[in-house]
Order: sequence, then C-alpha cells, then structure tokens
Amino acid sequence: MGKPINKIMVYVDGTEQSVTAAQYAICLASFSGAELIALYVVNTRAMEDLLKARIFLSDEEAEYEHDLEADAERYLKYVGELAAKKGLTIARKQRKGSVHKEIIDAIHDEQVDLLVIGELSRIRSRRDEFYDEAERAMRTAPCSVLIVKDEDRVWELYESLV
Amino acid sequence: MALIDLLVPEVVKTPLEAKDKPDVLRELVQILKDAGQIDDLDTVLKAVQEREDKQSTGLGAGVAVPHCKTPAVKSLKLAIGIAPEGIDFDSLDHEPTTLFFLLVAAPDQSGPHVEALAEIARLARSKAFCQALVRAQSAQEVVDLIKGE
Repeated sequence: MGKPINKIMVYVDGTEQSVTAAQYAICLASFSGAELIALYVVNTRAMEDLLKARIFLSDEEAEYEHDLEADAERYLKYVGELAAKKGLTIARKQRKGSVHKEIIDAIHDEQVDLLVIGELSRIRSRRDEFYDEAERAMRTAPCSVLIVKDEDRVWELYESLV
Repeated sequence: MALIDLLVPEVVKTPLEAKDKPDVLRELVQILKDAGQIDDLDTVLKAVQEREDKQSTGLGAGVAVPHCKTPAVKSLKLAIGIAPEGIDFDSLDHEPTTLFFLLVAAPDQSGPHVEALAEIARLARSKAFCQALVRAQSAQEVVDLIKGE
C-alpha cells in the first residue's frame, strides 16, 4: 500500500489564517514525508470585474495586478522560509485568474491529494456564501481538504518540529 | 477582508450635507476623520481627488466609488455617504449620484482593497438594494441592511 498522502498543497493568501495553514502543512509534510506545494492566486478575475464595472481604469488594473504579484512573491517567500527552518523544501506556485478555479486547476495539474486551507471566515451574510473563494474551493476540490484551526496549537506544533 | 468588517455606524452618514462633487469628497473624508480612522485629512483628500481627476468614479445608476491608495492609512478604510436628493458627480450616465462608497487603502494592501471594491461592485448591481440604502433613515439602518444582505 502506498502512502496515504503524497502531495500536500497549501493555499496562501497573505492572511494570518493562511500562514497558520502553511505551518500545519509543514508539520504534516514533516511527519508524512509528503511533497509540499504553496499556491498563491492573483485574483485577476476580480480586477477584470472592476474594470468592467468602470471602478478601475486600465492603468489602475495593471498597477494593482503588479502589486498583487509582488504580494504573491513576498508571501510565498515567507512560507518557503518557514519550511526551510524545519529542513523542508516547498514548491512555490503563483497563478492568476479566478481564485477557486485556479486552486482546483492546480490540484489537477500538480496531482495533489490533500489541500490545506486556513480557517474560513465566519459566514455573516448570504453574499459570503456565494463569494468566499476558499469556501468555494473547499466545496469543489476533487481531493481531501483540511481546514486548519487553533492558531496557538499549530504554532506550538510547528515550533516543536526539529 | 469582508466589507462588513469595516462597517460601523460611525463611518456612515445619511443624509450628506454636500451639494456638489468637491464637497462630497471632502465630507466623505471628514467622516473618516471624525470616526478617528485617519489623522491626515488633507493627504487623504488629495489622493482621492487625484484619482477622481483621472476619471469620475461615478459608475452610473446612482452609485459612486471614490477610492485611492495612500501611505496616510495603515489599513483599509471605508466611509459611506448617502444623498437622497442626488448630487452631480460627473457620472458616466450623467444622472445624479445618491450612494457614495469611499475606500482608502494603504499602498501595500492591494489584495484587501481589490476584494472590498469587488464586493461593492456586487452590491451596486442590485438596484433594489441600493434603493433600500438610499431610503434608510439612519446610519445604523444602513449598517443593518448591508450586514443582512
């Protein structure tokens, strides 16, 4: 019988919750020997919508896209450093498009068997249910999904890794 | 960052007192100042005006979304102003604007800024919802409407 988990992908969006998820994914990879991928999606779909709604000018859209690419680099580098501190390597992937769709496509392309995401925002309106990208990814992912909670416990677990 | 995380009655004003575009922008920024969300009114106002000078953020259908990035804030700020009588805001449809969403972001927080703008764009697509906001009698009612949407 093969390993239950061969490839773990953690979705990173710059929130504290996603950093906690990355720490947990690092712990899981350390215990299981699974490969580790960190994914950041630049939400160009939202920016296209803002351009269509005429909230953005075209040069504004380009400026924000550039900013978000820089954010992606920064957060993926940070997660890479978290893994390196524990002697692991993490493959950094940046994609552009609609967030939940890109997560699903990455799962297929990378043959991921476990998606790790941060704690979901509390649903406070009907709108949230429709538009929370992580929730949509969780519902439609073709692989198992792990939602990481309890930041303090995860931090202790991560810190205890040698 | 959900829009409702930024929304408290202190950042909502209905009705606005302003009667023209420059005064609307100043009054919206003043809402943030009065709510203790910004310190430097002039810097924020200048950034909002500079964006507005490129092209009006009056989207039409009575909605405007003035916005800017400025180092004068450390996190995303939202103010909502309502002018039931309508104000000329150089909107794309040349109709008066009744509903104003001001968003001010720190330069290094483009992600939350884009998400909040996208959320406003979605809200603004519902004509009935926008009409309900314009009819609201108090800031608290506006907050309740948006949180209950």
